[in-house]
Amino acid sequence: MTTLKLALRNLLGAGLRTWLNVFALSFAYLAIIFLNGLMDGWQKQAKKDTIEWEYGKGQLWHHKYDPYDPFSLKEAHSIIPEGITGAPILITQASIYPEGRMMSVQLKGIKSDQNIINIPSSKLQYSEDNIPIAIGTQMSETTGLKIGDKTIIRWRDVNGTFDAIQVEVIEIFNNTVPSTDNGQVWIGLEQLQKMMNLKSEATIIVLSTNKSISSTDEWVYKDLDFLLMDIDNMIEAKKAGNSIIYILLLVLALLAVFDTQVLSVFRRQKEIGTYIALGMTRWKVVMLFTIEGGFNSILAAILAFAYGAPILYLVNKAGGIPMVADASEVGMSIADSLIPSYTISLILSTVLIVVICATIVSFIPARKIAKMKPTDALKGKIQ
Amino acid sequence: MKEAIIKSKNLTKKFPVGNGYFTALEDINLEIGKGEFLGLVGPSGSGKTTLLNIFGSLDVPSEGEATVMDKNVSQLSHGESAELRNKHIGFIFQSYNLLPVYTVYENVEFALLLQDKSTSERKKAVMDALEWVGLTDKVKSKPAQLSGGQSQRVAIARAMVKKPDILLADEPTANLDSENSHHILQTMVELNKELDTTFIFSTHDEKVMKYLRRMVHLKDGKIDKDQLITSL
Ligand SMILES: Nc1ncnc2c1ncn2[C@@H]1O[C@H](COP(=O)(O)OP(=O)(O)O)[C@@H](O)[C@H]1O
Ligand SMILES: [Mg+2]
Repeated sequence: MTTLKLALRNLLGAGLRTWLNVFALSFAYLAIIFLNGLMDGWQKQAKKDTIEWEYGKGQLWHHKYDPYDPFSLKEAHSIIPEGITGAPILITQASIYPEGRMMSVQLKGIKSDQNIINIPSSKLQYSEDNIPIAIGTQMSETTGLKIGDKTIIRWRDVNGTFDAIQVEVIEIFNNTVPSTDNGQVWIGLEQLQKMMNLKSEATIIVLSTNKSISSTDEWVYKDLDFLLMDIDNMIEAKKAGNSIIYILLLVLALLAVFDTQVLSVFRRQKEIGTYIALGMTRWKVVMLFTIEGGFNSILAAILAFAYGAPILYLVNKAGGIPMVADASEVGMSIADSLIPSYTISLILSTVLIVVICATIVSFIPARKIAKMKPTDALKGKIQ
Repeated sequence: MKEAIIKSKNLTKKFPVGNGYFTALEDINLEIGKGEFLGLVGPSGSGKTTLLNIFGSLDVPSEGEATVMDKNVSQLSHGESAELRNKHIGFIFQSYNLLPVYTVYENVEFALLLQDKSTSERKKAVMDALEWVGLTDKVKSKPAQLSGGQSQRVAIARAMVKKPDILLADEPTANLDSENSHHILQTMVELNKELDTTFIFSTHDEKVMKYLRRMVHLKDGKIDKDQLITSL
């Protein structure tokens, strides 16, 4: 207890140098917390949007369905199983011809009365001519298709026979989830089933509850954890990339603390000798200096909170950080601006790591005190 | 003589220098009784500081032994010698060695903080000690704001606040003018009477010698003369 008090007294007594170190450390704190908070916020947003627009509460996949292999689609469909509440989606390869160009797309048939995901399916009513389709804003941009525009769709039915039909863009939806937008054309389920000659069949079923379903030979249950794994992995990779930035900042700040400590141990020999003469053991003096250095990180945490909390709060309040990258480049959902999300565990673990690092960095030079001869220290003649 | 509080027997101290040794103290045999007011007198380099450091358990003899309060300083662990210093020995240095970031009060309080004394006990002891040296009005000052004489008085208060059995003062007046030197010596004479603390000085200052009741003359690390001054 007294050692803590003495350490704090010494540290504050050192004045400007202490505050420079503390400021540098506080900056490292903020960088770590902000960058991680931004990633966490993105992760939260990406998951939420992807759940709302694509994954629902889980999915059943046809056992032959492989989202990374478009050729699997040819065989990945079966009769929709009974007793499952969900939105069946039938997926096939197709081509559209906007402005005379040919473009491969995935044609996704979704039930018009579903409300599990946000795709505006209610607009996709069955129709004999001018079949309604919906596309995302990104797709609208790449194809130049606008509401009311008509285009030709060409596909192969289950028997491999080519057919073509005119469709009309009835809705353009705006979301952040590239896998529902880029190269995707949404159409009524019944419509697609009829076009494909696959009555009552589907490729996947988006579930409305997260109650686990046992897989069958035909249908494999994929829970949300599985579906969201890609997002988690991607965020983890980005966090690892970011860590370079704050490891650098942290190293610089810790270097300043280290430097101060080395200088302290050298310049304060007389003081060290005096502590020993007054009855401290050398190890106690080592501890005093270590705690003194370590305290930089605690003062820095307080300082970082004092000026950082209002800044970070205002950033969030002002709508977060605008993102220039668009979702198709990133490969996963990303909103126009990300709202960082700061959790207690992020803050606590950051403080813990910085405090431990600062203490270690303070201890290394302070260790030298234990080898000093008190008489030499009092004379101040150790180099 | 009263019971000995410090004894040395054939005490020799050698420092490694280059390939060989430099003998700073040679065959020192001394008995210092409780309550003495004694000076180690000799020119610079005669070994005064070295001997004080050994008596203060900051260093150990190379040969022979030094016994301080019945403890052989060569045999003490770091913890034991720290405890001996903290509880029983006060130090005063030529350059005061006050802790610069602490106030006068905190400097004096320091030794007590290392002991398990309550806040009120500490406060009383600190104020008493500052009263002995006449600095109760400077409790909140920092060392940088004090004159040399005031600084050394704070150092005396810091050394005396724990009422040590032994006070070791290494050339305490070397940086002071004569008025301050006398003032400090008078304070120490009074404390010696009042608290029965054993005072050991190292000095080559004539002004100090006037106050001493025993002078141990050192020359080239050996005792040249051990002189009792009967009465003033
Ligand atoms: N750590 C040391 N290493 C080498 N020589 C030393 C050391 N400490 C003291 N000495 C030498 O021992 C002699 C006595 O020193 P010291 O006790 O400081 O004398 P005084 O205090 O009487 O001036 C001096 O010659 C000094 O150079
Ligand atoms: Mg000396």
